Amino acid sequence: MSEVRTLIVDDSSVMRKIVERSLRQAGLNPLVVFEAGSGVEGLELLKSQPVDLILSDINMPSMDGLEFLRQLRAQNLAPNVPVVMITTESSEEHVKQAILAGAQGYIRKPFTAEQVKERVLPLLTAA
Amino acid sequence: MQLYGVRRAAVATARYSGNKEMERTMTLSLRESVNLITDPKNLDGSVEEVFQLMLGVNCQRYEGPVEIAEPESVTAVVGFGGLLSGACVFRSGAVAAVKIAAHMTGMEFDEIDDTVKDGIGEICNMLAGAWKGKVPDLAANCGLSVPAVITGRDYNLHVQAPEFKLFHTYHFDDASFEVMIICDGLQ
Repeated sequence: MSEVRTLIVDDSSVMRKIVERSLRQAGLNPLVVFEAGSGVEGLELLKSQPVDLILSDINMPSMDGLEFLRQLRAQNLAPNVPVVMITTESSEEHVKQAILAGAQGYIRKPFTAEQVKERVLPLLTAA
Repeated sequence: MQLYGVRRAAVATARYSGNKEMERTMTLSLRESVNLITDPKNLDGSVEEVFQLMLGVNCQRYEGPVEIAEPESVTAVVGFGGLLSGACVFRSGAVAAVKIAAHMTGMEFDEIDDTVKDGIGEICNMLAGAWKGKVPDLAANCGLSVPAVITGRDYNLHVQAPEFKLFHTYHFDDASFEVMIICDGLQ
């Protein structure tokens, strides 16, 4: 697999590290990771860094993950780049909102590396 | 320590998310599901799931009274808002907090630093999410706040007349922690 440039958006630095570790365990190597602590930071970063994959938390202060996703699509940043939401919110309604906002995948916390692999790898292959 | 702030944040989160389903179902009542919501097994299952999947450790519930004897403790609070209001509260001494953060990150810690606090906040967030996810009506009609983490010595958590409270203690790796679900409003 060629280099996978990935943006991880989460207000928790610990969760960003766990997501990165899970991606590596899922076989995404070589992996180049960009980290953002908020949706605003994520949007700013995408203006200068092209990426192949975006993983974002939903429940974040200042700009939540759904708003980040809407802004991402509205500003046409990273078009055609798959976005996977990683969140504790798991009701059907939350999943529906994420899909409507433009997410291609949804992973519920807590998760395993195997779940990350199952949901992320097909998106990269399709892209 | 008051819970009003995190509860307001959870309500705001639920509103801000533009959850039409939540608005539409506000006429629903969770009171019919109260036996399911207060089932202690849901909390035990949530703790076991989070610790097994995110830390790779098995947690055992401890039924007896446990005093966290360490002078410094860490408390994380995630508020619930919507048809159920209240909070999920995680509390442990420094030893357990440092062990949890070490399992999460693969790093070693000597004290409760910002990374440890961040990790404990996330654990509380996942516990709150996993717990409410056990009851579909609750999952769909209750929002979560972002975690608040408090560290220090000689403080108490006080909640006035909750609707119900679950208070469990768990052990792992010779360390213990407490998890509390407090509900101060149920529609």
